[in-house]
Amino acid sequence: VRILLVDDEAAIQRAVGPLLRSRGYEVDVAGTGADALGMFESRTPDLIVLDLGLPDLEGTEVCRRIRAKSAVPIIVLSARGAEGDKVNALDLGADDYVTKPFGPEELLARIRVALRRVGSEEPTDSGVFRAGDLTIDYDRHRVLRNDTEIRLTPKEFELLSLLVRNHDRVLTHRAILKAVWGPNAVEQPEHLWTLVAQLRKKIEPDPATPKYLLSEPWVGYRFVASGQGSRD
Amino acid sequence: MSARLHRDWSRIAAAVATVAIVTAALRWFAVSNAATVSTTYLMVVLVVAASSRLRVAVVTSIAAMLSLNFFFLPPVGNFSIADAQNWVALIAFLTVSLIASNLSAVAHARTQEAVSRRDELARLFDLSRDVLMMTDSPEALAVLARSVARRFDLDFVAVALPRRGDWNVFEAGSQHADLDRRELTKALASAQASLEFDAHARTYAGHRTMTVEGRDIRLVPLRVGTKPIGILAAAGRPVEAGTLDALAGVVAIAIERAQFLEERTASELMRQSEQLKTALLASLGHDLRTPLTAIRVAASNIVTPGLPPDDRAGQSELILTEVERLTRLFENTLEMARIDAGAVATESRWTHPSEIVAAARDQVEHTLAAHPVTVSIEHDVPVRLDPRLTASALAHLLENAAQYTPAGSAIEITVRRDETRATELPPDGQLVIGVRDHGPGIAAADLPHVFERFYRGAAAKARASGTGMGLWIVRGLLAVEQGQVFAENCPDGGAKFTILVPAAVKEAP
Repeated sequence: VRILLVDDEAAIQRAVGPLLRSRGYEVDVAGTGADALGMFESRTPDLIVLDLGLPDLEGTEVCRRIRAKSAVPIIVLSARGAEGDKVNALDLGADDYVTKPFGPEELLARIRVALRRVGSEEPTDSGVFRAGDLTIDYDRHRVLRNDTEIRLTPKEFELLSLLVRNHDRVLTHRAILKAVWGPNAVEQPEHLWTLVAQLRKKIEPDPATPKYLLSEPWVGYRFVASGQGSRD
Repeated sequence: MSARLHRDWSRIAAAVATVAIVTAALRWFAVSNAATVSTTYLMVVLVVAASSRLRVAVVTSIAAMLSLNFFFLPPVGNFSIADAQNWVALIAFLTVSLIASNLSAVAHARTQEAVSRRDELARLFDLSRDVLMMTDSPEALAVLARSVARRFDLDFVAVALPRRGDWNVFEAGSQHADLDRRELTKALASAQASLEFDAHARTYAGHRTMTVEGRDIRLVPLRVGTKPIGILAAAGRPVEAGTLDALAGVVAIAIERAQFLEERTASELMRQSEQLKTALLASLGHDLRTPLTAIRVAASNIVTPGLPPDDRAGQSELILTEVERLTRLFENTLEMARIDAGAVATESRWTHPSEIVAAARDQVEHTLAAHPVTVSIEHDVPVRLDPRLTASALAHLLENAAQYTPAGSAIEITVRRDETRATELPPDGQLVIGVRDHGPGIAAADLPHVFERFYRGAAAKARASGTGMGLWIVRGLLAVEQGQVFAENCPDGGAKFTILVPAAVKEAP
């Protein structure tokens, strides 16, 4: 498995490079946005770890250009405290993010999840998806937990199927609102909070400590297919 | 007052003498026609009335009347009058001359008033100009009081402003008076209670008089619009009530302006300090995260079983580098805080320039390792300066040169003495330390700003490390020892930074 690491900091390159290699990944390192785009073409990595603070191009721009050509998983590294950059990158097609300073296990876990997601069969709107004790039947619009049907409203089903189709990715509030309620609803997150709370009551064994439908504070939500709760 | 009285007396004497001379002349020419005589006297009275005050004219009228009676109206030689017709002539003469005197005196007074109005207007105008020129210094109000005293020739002027139950008094003028605070409070209270607009005089009366050590001091409310904000106290030359009002108006505007300027300065300072905090947090945020991440990842890499020994050594080296980077960041932040707090002490002693260079290189040995460094010192004789601050400033310049030039490019340090005895130079000459690199130089747009705090040029922003503190610290440290630093681009490429530090040299024995 080949990973492209894009970060202009020599220190990060020198620490994260060996970290990934020691776990058996092949690693290419790019220090600038231009390098990153070039190496994306020439090396065809299976996953990209992308720092948002690059000297030449905005990291979000690199993200947008790569996403325009490929569905390769992108994990964004953000050294900025601002949530705005992360959200932008996610809206532009990044799959996940890790905030600096991060620990090695955190990054490795995100990489594993992203790779597993790509490895699993292509998500479609038809067929059946299983996650832990949940079964989502897209064709029949049915959700089962341990063979017991859970009754969902159409909006609840729409939200759940959106999250499940993008399982293990972070979907921003904005992206979800737009997909479920339409472009005019993006400034009304209260719809989303209510619907998420309702959905959790129905699908989570313990709605107070969700295992499937996780919040990414100030950013969005993530559906964890393994049903293992937070952090892989 | 007495001077004026004295002047009146001499005028009266002169007028009476004129009457006597005219009388003698009339007698000499044997003029006896009462009409001619009285017309001549009337002319004298009019001349006197036009040039003097009413009382002088009145005395002249009476003297002329008596002379007319005594010398020309029969029976001549005494004050009795035989003919009733002459009574009428005498009374008519007196009446005409008194009325003429009065009219003339009124006209005279008007002129005087117009002149003094013009004078006061000119003073007010000058004062307004003073007010407009006033800067936002802490002494603005004292300056204002002085301007009032000077422009209006007053012996005593005080601008009194209420401040939290007490009074702030700004005094000026040749004399001093202890203003009774209670009187001030009373005057302000009454000004607040009523407007006391005197429609007849078209002034805000509300004026009070306070007696201090036998002197009358006039108190005038200072109003902005109709709201009283303080009291103006004045003594010395009498100033007309309307003028005092206008004067108080100008002073009130000046006070408002001074307070506005003060507030603006305060809010400007606040804004700058907020900006600084934001910049500091942004800078620290960025510069802490990267080394912390690298250290955390590298530390866990070291204990990973699968890592080749070479990589393991590399990871430990990486940790050391990043710890050094954090240490520098910490030291820079501390040094910056010390400069800000004015807590950098300077201690001069005799040092060899070579020691300073060696100390500076030691401080940034690790960063400098990738660059060949050459040192040339013109005369390595002891100089008197603060070696610690100078070396620290030089170390920052060396670090800067190493960071912003490609690895392997040379850095040259030159040291010489400048003994030019120009007036603007330190009297004992100065030490000139140059740091020249062979990197890309400094962009022209960045050159004027490189010593600003947290300023990072386009080239610097492209590099992740660097905080924008270093060069600011260099300037701050050197300022403590009256030194300076300049940046320039060399015509053949690369940047050159020059430090100038005042330094005495040990005279050769």
